[in-house]
Amino acid sequence: MAQVFPYTYYSCPCVESSSTKPNAVQSAPQEAAPFLEDEEENTFDPRSPRANFSLYPIEHLLYCTDCHQIRCPRCMVEEVVCWYCPNCLFEVPSSTVRSDGNRCTRNCYNCPICTSILSISSLEKPTEGLTPNDAASDAAKAPGGPYFLSCPFCQWSSLEIGIQFEKHFNLTSQLQKIIRGDTHRLGSVTDLASPRGEEMEGEIQGRASVASVEDTAPLPIQGDTETLFTNLYNFYRAQLSELSDANPYSLSSDYSFASPSSITRLMNLYGSGGRTKKDRPKPIREAAEFSEGQKVSNPLSEKENIDRIRSVGWEGTASVEQRLQQCREDVGFVDELRPLATLLRTKKSKRCKICRQILSRPESKVSTNRYKIKLLALNNIPKITMRSLNAQPAQHPSFPMQATAPGSDEASTLKPLVPTHFLLTITNPLFDSIKVTLATPSTTPGCVKSKVTILCPQFDVGANTDVWDEALSSATDRSSKRQSQMLSAGPDGGSLTGIQAEAGKVWERGRNWTSIVVEVAPGSLPDSIGHVTLGDDAQGDGGAALDEDEDVLEIPIFVRLEYETEAGGDDGGAAHARKEDAGKEKREEAFWAVLGVGRIAG
Amino acid sequence: MATAASSTPDYFTRKVSTGRIRPTLSGIQNASSPHTPFNRSLSSFYNSPSSGFRNDDENNVVIELGSRFMRIGMAGEALPRCIMSFGPDDHHRVGDYRQWMPGYNTRRKRKRGEEWGQDHELWRNDVRELDLGLVEDKLERAARKADGEVLMLDDRKKRLTVILASVIARPLLSVTLSTLFNIFQAPSITILPSPIACAASSGLRSALVLDIGWAESTATAIYEYREICQRRSVRAARTISEAMAELLDEECTAQAKGPIEVSFEEAEEVLTRLAWCKGNGDDRREDESQDAPQTILLPLPPSEPSTTLEINFSRFSEPAETAFFGENGDISSYDAHDLSLSRLLYNALLALPVDVRKVCMARIVITGGVSNIPGIKARVIEELKLLVKCRGWDPIRNYGKATKRANSNPRERNDNTAVRLESNVTESSDTDDGTAEESNELHQPAVAAAFVPQEQDPILERLAERAAKQAPPTVEGRIRAVETLGAWAGGSLMAALRIKGVVEVERESFLQHGLAGASKEKEVSSKAAQRQSLGPGARSAGAERASWTLGIWA
Ligand SMILES: [Zn+2]
Ligand SMILES: [Zn+2]
Ligand SMILES: [Zn+2]
Ligand SMILES: [Zn+2]
Repeated sequence: MAQVFPYTYYSCPCVESSSTKPNAVQSAPQEAAPFLEDEEENTFDPRSPRANFSLYPIEHLLYCTDCHQIRCPRCMVEEVVCWYCPNCLFEVPSSTVRSDGNRCTRNCYNCPICTSILSISSLEKPTEGLTPNDAASDAAKAPGGPYFLSCPFCQWSSLEIGIQFEKHFNLTSQLQKIIRGDTHRLGSVTDLASPRGEEMEGEIQGRASVASVEDTAPLPIQGDTETLFTNLYNFYRAQLSELSDANPYSLSSDYSFASPSSITRLMNLYGSGGRTKKDRPKPIREAAEFSEGQKVSNPLSEKENIDRIRSVGWEGTASVEQRLQQCREDVGFVDELRPLATLLRTKKSKRCKICRQILSRPESKVSTNRYKIKLLALNNIPKITMRSLNAQPAQHPSFPMQATAPGSDEASTLKPLVPTHFLLTITNPLFDSIKVTLATPSTTPGCVKSKVTILCPQFDVGANTDVWDEALSSATDRSSKRQSQMLSAGPDGGSLTGIQAEAGKVWERGRNWTSIVVEVAPGSLPDSIGHVTLGDDAQGDGGAALDEDEDVLEIPIFVRLEYETEAGGDDGGAAHARKEDAGKEKREEAFWAVLGVGRIAG
Repeated sequence: MATAASSTPDYFTRKVSTGRIRPTLSGIQNASSPHTPFNRSLSSFYNSPSSGFRNDDENNVVIELGSRFMRIGMAGEALPRCIMSFGPDDHHRVGDYRQWMPGYNTRRKRKRGEEWGQDHELWRNDVRELDLGLVEDKLERAARKADGEVLMLDDRKKRLTVILASVIARPLLSVTLSTLFNIFQAPSITILPSPIACAASSGLRSALVLDIGWAESTATAIYEYREICQRRSVRAARTISEAMAELLDEECTAQAKGPIEVSFEEAEEVLTRLAWCKGNGDDRREDESQDAPQTILLPLPPSEPSTTLEINFSRFSEPAETAFFGENGDISSYDAHDLSLSRLLYNALLALPVDVRKVCMARIVITGGVSNIPGIKARVIEELKLLVKCRGWDPIRNYGKATKRANSNPRERNDNTAVRLESNVTESSDTDDGTAEESNELHQPAVAAAFVPQEQDPILERLAERAAKQAPPTVEGRIRAVETLGAWAGGSLMAALRIKGVVEVERESFLQHGLAGASKEKEVSSKAAQRQSLGPGARSAGAERASWTLGIWA
């Protein structure tokens, strides 16, 4: 949806074998699943909320040549081939990813406000805008003096949060120092102060006054969270090691209570009775003060925040998205946001989840986009396209994929209840000719019921032989009679009564493609006056206004292919393949596709 | 130690007994050197993560799953590496790039028959109307995205810790486990209850954790890392979000910006950024800061050219007031599932044995997304103090003419009695001795419960003695709130310290048998662990994993 009409989505069959099915204890209401149970064969419902998770454009799909099935991201397993920074394009070794995390450790930072890449500038010559890594490479030219990060888009600057750098390279370690220094400052203040009562209040006020001084960075929250976490971790760790020191041979002398750091012992108060005090190891105690990771709530800081919201207003508060970006939900204000080191990206190889065959493997060099292996569905599954018969293709009919000018609103707006003819073209990428059988529910699922008739549901599509074969042979089955009829219908022709698309007849045929006609009578939207074809569910709700995209006409089509091919040598996992004699092998494949035709006019 | 049975909604297939104490966690620490210095102080954002203590042969992943967000990151870090939401924009088809198109209209109508914010939920605990397949789809996509685009882990073995609410419908648990096993290919998953993780990340062993969740708020009493009592209320984030939307709608209409229906996203944005909460009976704040602006300009409703809405700052405190604290309406029709937050806490405390109560009341931990709204924590604590001051710890709120109350079990009435502070004293004075005694207590309600003399329990006394010898002086008997780093950080700590939970689900046996493979006995693994660790040699790898249990999720 929201794609340019017409479009085609393919449904990966792996949803049907989804892992919830066997384990689902309670039976979920089935009508919500994309497969309706009303007819004898299940009908795919592109309207169901689940359909969004199983439909893919064909470009996103791979194909397992062992299983002979489409593979979507859900039925593939991925392995990282290499990590790199999308900004500086430097490859990051896996050991660094492990030790330093999933973000660029060079000088790449994203704006905390708008997420665009920050550039580094000198305070001396503020006009000089260099990307961090350029600056690093030609250090000689760079101006001296303190540097800061700034956003070329939203004008945010790190000076706003009091961060500036002495050097224009190695920002990460400098930033660490700045933050750590800040943390230390806070940590020491809090260590001295008792975390209770008036002293705490005093500390808060003290901090507030420090923060109001211009040149200190107001970075309390992160420091607090991090310090608290570190303190807490150290505290637990110390407690646990104390335990194991006290009972070095505890493993053999006591039950699991004595095993170092067993949480059973952390909470041994209700441990089994009958043990003497001596045997019982000391439980770890709770953290008692800030240095151990405990922080008593302070109502004053909340009041402070309220006043701050009042004074900074809407603009000064951090948006939901900004908070999520920082992964810190306790960040409240824009000036608490910090530049984020750029998230790394990976190149991944993909395997079939069932048979582990490699489906795609990129070249490991960051600079190339090439793949060593890539089994595209595009090369293995017939491509299905649909376009209106009214809109005349300017191109040569041998290239039906390029049919109508995309997105022309006129072509994609459908008149309710007016039967319209569409041309459905199937292009075969295989080197064997295929036999195609199409099926579709006579009315589309959902609250706007449109009638769909495939005039010729069964036909052959030629093999994808050499292009020159076609050029040389004049034997394409394109009938000039139809061509002229189409022209005579004219671009304005709403109805095609002049040229009858005959039932059971192929409309047009090329080397490796075949077009057939589909007749669609779009249903009318519930709001329009007159004939209202409402679904049952919609009536139940009083036929309220349509939900988003409910006026889009999407046709689910079940596609079944049959073809004979050379028997592959080591074709083990051929569930659909039946060995025949003479080394030929018959294959069957089937999947649902969804064709987005257009929007029904209200 | 028995406490009143919690009022569980009918949708749980089995009744969750919170009345008994059970070990929730047990485990053995890996025999790594306990003295490794802990030398990190920053999260991975600043690129000095937990290398100091991260085990090198596995990836230690911690996931917290709530009904609206998934937090996921590496153990030992203070912050998750990403927070995934489950909004409609996260559920478009692949290749549907509409949300990045210029002019994409974020204003979304609510779908027919959908509740407020329903399309932003991963799940709800009422599984009767839930499409589990859809839950799986959403969870699968979010987890796959987090794994592939944020964590980007190498192929080392993954160790998974999942933090879940302590009450979750079994089908949801099943879907969660199967999806996570499927995506992360982990050999086993440890499940941690979120209240315990919260307590751990506030440095506490006992706590009363108030989690203001999306669909419900829960108050969970934890004593020595065990959940012993839970109370719930439907006043939660959804309530305040709806209240905020109503307020905005009202203001839009009043300021003649047209009767627009404020979308969920807009309400949430305003709620997150501007909502605050008044102190108890605190209207003086209005005049307190005269110099600060009294109104806030909002870029709402979105239009071209942009319009603004001018709203008095004090109005932004109203949603919290009505959603969490208001006790308006007829108090006798007061719903036990609709308690104000302070009363929820009070009831939870009331249900606790006295010695547990005096510990827990000094360790109140408030968590959950909306608890970040400034003023809420302070307000909850203030109101709780007031309640305790007025009422003491008498479980009976209104004696009325009931002379038989001495015979009845007071716990049975915890939840259904009405609030009537002034009347209960006078009404109860005309009854028998026992009641008169009680009413005397009521006359001096300021005595904190912890100091009310109570039956002597020799065992508890001895335990207390012992505890007093070993632990540094602890704070008890007064109401105090302690900050927490949240459930995710707690899980991160516990996973980094290699503390194992009772509930550890093995991949193979889960995939074979599903949840049915869990041992029926809740405590089997802790007992088994005790038996098996008789000596180092007695522990055989095979026997160790012979059975697993669902613990409190059974
Ligand atoms: Zn698939
Ligand atoms: Zn970089
Ligand atoms: Zn920016
Ligand atoms: Zn395969």
